[in-house]
Amino acid sequence: MKLHHKGFLLVSISKSRGVWDQQLIEKVFTEYNESGDFREKTIRIALDELAAAGLIKCTENKLETINGKAKLLFKYQISDFGISRMVDTGLLPP
Amino acid sequence: MLNNVPASSLLKIALHKHYARNQRWGFMWALWTAILWGAWYVPGTALWFERPYVDISVNEQSLRLAATAVMTWIHAIAVFLFLLIWNMALGKVKDYGRTMLSFNKISKWYALASLCGGPLAIFGSYMAMGFIGPVFAAISSLFYPVVGAIIARLWYKEKISKRTAIGMCIIIFGGMVIYGPSIFGETGASNPNAWLGYLGGIMSAIGWGSEGAVAGRAMDVSDPDVGIHCRFSFEVVFWGMFILPALAIFTDLPIKNLIVETVTHSKAMLWIILAAACHAYCYTAMYKSLILIGVGRGEAIGNLYAVFALIFIAAFTLQLPQWYFIVGLFLTVLGSFVMFSEPAESVAELRDNSDAKVY
Repeated sequence: MKLHHKGFLLVSISKSRGVWDQQLIEKVFTEYNESGDFREKTIRIALDELAAAGLIKCTENKLETINGKAKLLFKYQISDFGISRMVDTGLLPP
Repeated sequence: MLNNVPASSLLKIALHKHYARNQRWGFMWALWTAILWGAWYVPGTALWFERPYVDISVNEQSLRLAATAVMTWIHAIAVFLFLLIWNMALGKVKDYGRTMLSFNKISKWYALASLCGGPLAIFGSYMAMGFIGPVFAAISSLFYPVVGAIIARLWYKEKISKRTAIGMCIIIFGGMVIYGPSIFGETGASNPNAWLGYLGGIMSAIGWGSEGAVAGRAMDVSDPDVGIHCRFSFEVVFWGMFILPALAIFTDLPIKNLIVETVTHSKAMLWIILAAACHAYCYTAMYKSLILIGVGRGEAIGNLYAVFALIFIAAFTLQLPQWYFIVGLFLTVLGSFVMFSEPAESVAELRDNSDAKVY
């Protein structure tokens, strides 16, 4: 069974030393066979929620023009708290 | 004009806008919680004035409690259906399935939250409405943010800034000013079972406060829209598979009759459906706000429901509010503004994580 969305995001972030949100969105789209602005916004909101909860932290940010529109991008890394919550919820082995 | 602004300043502005937008959404969801929750007391109380519930005298203590259990269960089923529509529209039904199935690790928290929110809080609130009245039911839950904030602080180290604490105190004080004087007019010494209403009030405050904090554990790693759906799924199961069958088997209470009579009385069902619509989306808004602005802040702004409950009750009963309502209204709104004035960046990260190890 596939992981739920936030679980997948956490696992993807924990596997890297730092990953940009744009790359995460592409990963989710491929994994769940999704596409579109609405789904992209949903994923960005999920990342904001994970950051607000302290499970992931933003290590870098930049403004980039994508399709003629300035977009604020974030690079995320898993936090120590995030790792402990992932262990608690079975997303990482103890 | 923006071409002359250095890139670092543009980035700074964009970041501030980003955090401010998140904060605004968090508080907006919390405000929707308050409006819909306030509205809920109207159909929730009106239900007690329809058959089969109106036929049960206040002296029939156990029958009235059984009726409360039945209405809470049917209410939970209706909420579940409204949430199903919501998640179908958002395309999150698959994620709901995945989250429900990881019971040991994630959805067990929603199961626990549903015990706090259902058999404790919603049941308690229907008790308070049925045994005393809607105004008392509303005031008795006003302290739930305090329960929620304390649990969140002790359990998973959520930050409570001085400003948040002051805002919470003002809101709670405002609620007391609005409802305090009304309790004395509403309780009625003639009702020998009024204590059950008081008990229900305490249950609702503890239930909702602890639900927010417990659900917060699961929402860390799952989606709030999906989470609230899981929470109500468990509530439907708890009432429908454990509590009501146990009452039907081990007591002589007419559980089956109450269920049949409720679903066959269109007016009772209409009130239940209206109450469920308010509650489904009030809960959705609450879960969304908790995750963006924290349990303490989200629940305290949600506490403005007291103001909206009074407005809605006044509109439907055509009884104008007293002077102390205006004072209370001022205080609760002031309290929310004290909290809202916190810098967006400090709301952006809700936890003290330096020493965090959560069990």
